[in-house]
Formats: sequence, C-alpha cells, structure tokens
Amino acid sequence: MALLSACGKDQSALDAAGVDAEAIRNIFMVTLVGACILWVLVNGAFYTLTRLRTDPLDDRFVRPLLIGGGIVVPSVLLIGLLAWALSILPDQRAPGDGLQVRVTGEQWWWRVEYWPDGAEEPIVTANEIRLPAGQRTEFVLDADRVIHSFWIPSLGGKMDMFPGRETRVSLHPERPGRYRGQCAEFCGVSHAWMAFAAVVMPEEEFDAWLEREAGDAVAPESAEAMRGEELFRSEGCGACHAVRGTEAVGQVGPDLTHVGSRETLGAGRLGATLEDFERWIAHTGELKPEVLMPTYDHLGEAEIADMATYLKGLK
Amino acid sequence: MTLAALAALGLTGAVAVVALGLYNVSAVAGHLPGVSWVLHTTFRNSVWLRAPSEEEVPELDDAELVALGAGHYATACVPCHGAPGQEASATMRAMVPEPPQIEEAVAHWEANELFWIVENGIKMTGMPGWPAEGRDDEVWAVVAYLESVKGEAAPELVLETSEPEEYCASCHGEVGGQVPRLDILSAAYLEAQLQAYRSGKRPSGIMAQAVTSVPEERLAELARHFAETADEAEEAPVADAELASKGEALAREGTRDVPTCLACHGEREDGRRKGPVLDGQRRGFLEVQLTLWRDGIYDYDPLMHAAARDLSDEDIAALAAYFAGR
Repeated sequence: MALLSACGKDQSALDAAGVDAEAIRNIFMVTLVGACILWVLVNGAFYTLTRLRTDPLDDRFVRPLLIGGGIVVPSVLLIGLLAWALSILPDQRAPGDGLQVRVTGEQWWWRVEYWPDGAEEPIVTANEIRLPAGQRTEFVLDADRVIHSFWIPSLGGKMDMFPGRETRVSLHPERPGRYRGQCAEFCGVSHAWMAFAAVVMPEEEFDAWLEREAGDAVAPESAEAMRGEELFRSEGCGACHAVRGTEAVGQVGPDLTHVGSRETLGAGRLGATLEDFERWIAHTGELKPEVLMPTYDHLGEAEIADMATYLKGLK
Repeated sequence: MTLAALAALGLTGAVAVVALGLYNVSAVAGHLPGVSWVLHTTFRNSVWLRAPSEEEVPELDDAELVALGAGHYATACVPCHGAPGQEASATMRAMVPEPPQIEEAVAHWEANELFWIVENGIKMTGMPGWPAEGRDDEVWAVVAYLESVKGEAAPELVLETSEPEEYCASCHGEVGGQVPRLDILSAAYLEAQLQAYRSGKRPSGIMAQAVTSVPEERLAELARHFAETADEAEEAPVADAELASKGEALAREGTRDVPTCLACHGEREDGRRKGPVLDGQRRGFLEVQLTLWRDGIYDYDPLMHAAARDLSDEDIAALAAYFAGR
C-alpha cells in the first residue's frame, strides 16, 4: 500500500486527464500487460522443460524454438514498441492552438507568463498553471541558474528546463480538475518543495480567469488589509515582489498581484488559507530551507496577521 | 644503534631547551651570529614568492586614496615606523628586529610586495596583519600612501589630535573618494555602524582602528556630531548622465536577479525608509561597499548580500553614479 500511496489522484501518470498523459499511460499499460504475458510464457517453458519433460528434445523442435522465441519474436516486439513510442513523440511537441505559456524554473519556484495569441506583453503570475480543457497549449521552458524539470504527471510527460536554453513541450488536457505539478530534476536543498497547482478549466471559464489575471491588483479595503499594505511597503517587500498597480515592481520573487486567488503558497509548500499566509511570512526558512525570502519573524503577531490579510485579499 | 642513540640525545636536548628555558629570548642579547641574515633572507624571499603580480596593482596615485591611507597610517603605523622626517620613539626602536623607519621600510619594496606585507604582517617581528579579512580596498589605500612616501609626494600626516571629533574629522569631512559622507545619515544609524566596526561585525581595518582609538562612551556623541556636521570634502566630478540613468533604471525596476534598490533605500511619503540613505553619498564609497556586499566580504545582512550578488562591475558603477547624484 505504501508504494501505491504515490498514485494519488492529483499527481498520477496512471490517472490521465489529457491526450498526452493517455498516450504515455497506454504505452505503459501495453508494455506492462505484454511483460506479464511474456513472464508467464518464459517461466512456463522453463518449468515444462526442467520438471515435466526432462528427456532430451528433438533437434527439429529446439532449433525453431530458440530462433523464433529467442531472436525473431523479441526483435519484432521491441522494434514494434520502439516504432510506436517514437511515433507519438512528436505529439508531445506539437504546436499549440494559440495560447503559449512561458515557464521559468527558479530556486525553488515557477515564474509563469501567459502569452495569448498575438499578445504583445505577457500576463505574469507564478506557481500555478491554469489551462483550457480541450485545447493544446504550448509551453516554452527555461531556467535560472540550475537545471529543473517541468512535470504534470496527470497531463503529460516531463521536460527538462535549462539555464539559457529554451525547451518546448505541449499539453492537451481534456478533463477539468486540479492536478499537481512537481520539479522532477534535483535542483538544490528545497527541490522537494518545488511544486505547483495545475488547474484545467472549461474554455469559457479559463478565458474569464485569464482576463481577471491580466488586471491590476485590487486595492485593500479593510483597516487590517490597509495596515498590511503599508507594512508590505515599509518592509521593502516590493524590492523582490511585484503587485501590479502599486509601486511594488520587483522581479526577483513571485509576482503577487493575484496571490490571494492561488491554491498554494511557497510553490505548493502550503495551502492558501489566511493561517497559511501567516505561517509562510513568519517561518519561510523553516518551511523551505535556504529559500531566498527572509523570515519576517521580527514582526509582531498582529502585524503578520495584517500583512496576511492584505495578501489574501489580492484576489 | 648509533642512530637511535643520536636521536635520543637530540630529543633530550630539544626537550631541555623548551622545558628548562635554556634558550635566551632576551631582546637585548639579540640573535646568534648569522641568524639575523637567515631570518631576513627568508622574509625577503617569502614576500617575493607570495606577493600578487604587478598587474594586480590598481591605480594608486589618486589623491583621495593616498589621503585615506595617510589618515590610517597616522594612528596605526606611526608608533613603530615613524612619520616622514620624524623617527619612532626610542622604546619602539629597541624592538628586535628594529622596525625600519618609514622611508627605509618602503624603499626596497614594490607596491605589490608592500600590499602583501601590509595585508599579512610578518610573523615574529611585531608587524601585524590587516585586522579585517577581505578588505583589499583598504590595504591598497595604505599602499597608495606608502608609494607617495617613496616619491616624496606624501601629504602631511595629522599626528596630534586632542579631541575625538578632530581625529575623526581628519578623514570625514576632509577626504572624499572612498570615505563616506556622514551628514546624510541618522545618528542612530551611525552609532550602530560604529558598534558594528568595534565588534568586527562590519569588517574594516581602518574603521576598527579608528573606533578603538576613541573612548567607547563617546561613540553615541560622535555619531550625533557627525550626523549634524556638514561634510565639506571636495565632491568627485559628476558622473556621465548616461551611466546614472542606467543606474536609475536598475534601482527603480531591478531585474530578475536584482531587487529594486528604492523599495528599501528610497524615501516613502512619511519620510522614512528601511535601509540607510544613499542619496548624495560618494560614488567611490558606494562602489567599494556594493562590491563588498556582492563578494560576500560583508555578510552580516543576508538580504543585502542577496540583493548585490548578481551585480556586474558596470552595474555597480551605474548604481553608484545614480545614487551619488540623487
């Protein structure tokens, strides 16, 4: 059971939610079933020849068995399997239907830019990827400093991300839902905490979401949130984080314009409740070793709560 | 058998010298004949072997750099090596080996060798190494002064100062270049820096010497005094506008690797800011400090190290030009 616990619903290559993941699952299943049949045949032959028919076999029988079973059948099977696998490889990089998503692997988070067809500048966000169902979306991948690997097991195969070199992969999700992506190449101390939520939405919902995402941040309304915004400014958070529509324009860390509407914090490290925001601000280094963001534990509890309220309100 | 007996005899002799005090360490008695020659030759060759190459010597005839080195030399080095035209005290000259008088000390060495000697000191001679690690910039300032002594172009040393204010003011307010303006900073910030220099948290050989040369209880008062006293040192020539505007773009917008400087060092509507004031600060000082942050020589504020770690030399020059003119 412990081995199967990795096959949870939101991060499983066996629970395919798109065309590309299905192709990979089919190869896996065919190989698995084929391997089982071969295992039974080989062991059956072994058992028969060592236990049931121990007298010497006729040469006319042995020769075709060795040549057929030892050379011809495996060659045909393996070449067939290779041809099939290679034939679906180009699909993984098929051009998209218009939307292009540029993802940069950072230590240890994901910089995400949506480039809708014909857009002149991207819609910038981070640590969450939303996709329209029933469409092929192309990903342009890049990395900062070290190699990462982009992988949403439920939607398709993985693709490595290299500093200074673009790689491409495209995904065609079909079933709306929430899936999990994970960095699949060791990239430093907090590699295991480098994940993201991948949300597949019906096309109209996605279009509405992208339009909201392109907008500026909402201004804080409650007194707590306004105090939080002031703290965000006085603590210099804007040096690294951008909140569009405010003076915070930093690009070193994740864009926070709509951080309150995301499903996770710290690149999949925590959920996104108000308490999670508070925990993250006060315990960054404990939650994510060697993360660049400093721990703001010099702030009082009330101040942290104000800042969390402000950020959670950035819907 | 003979070998073992000889070894045992030698070992017994060595133990006797160390444990029974047979060797005379008296400075008056001096060295046995020939030993001084061996030691001095070893010293000369060791410096020759280890000094950086001559190509690594920076521009040393900058008057501000010479003045900074002179200010440090005046308190840290004069007691042993004297000042040009003025010998060290008789007591200091009775050291073994005798510290050479400044003119003689610099005469036989090239700038790169002087750098190595000032940075490392010389074992068993009383010559100390530089008290702060990684501050090559400060060591070069002293070497710049020593080179000026060679050329007989050395500025006059300020040797007699009665008051701490007067002592500090022999550089601050007098010398530009790498010496910062203090009148733009708050007294609280200045005092915190003085304490950081004193504890070694902020490594600086020159400021550690300065801050331990004044009574500790006067630090707060000195911080207040210099925060309020206008700095009248000559301003460096204005940087070219193109460089400053490049610096402005970087300071305002940052990059994917460099945070925006102004989020912490820019003034907010209420007049406060998180980091120290940089507006109007000297270019030379800003360049040196940013380089120290980038290279991790300064590591007491991980945020500032992280902020500077990806700056190129050109970025640093641009940022310094921008903030100096801001």
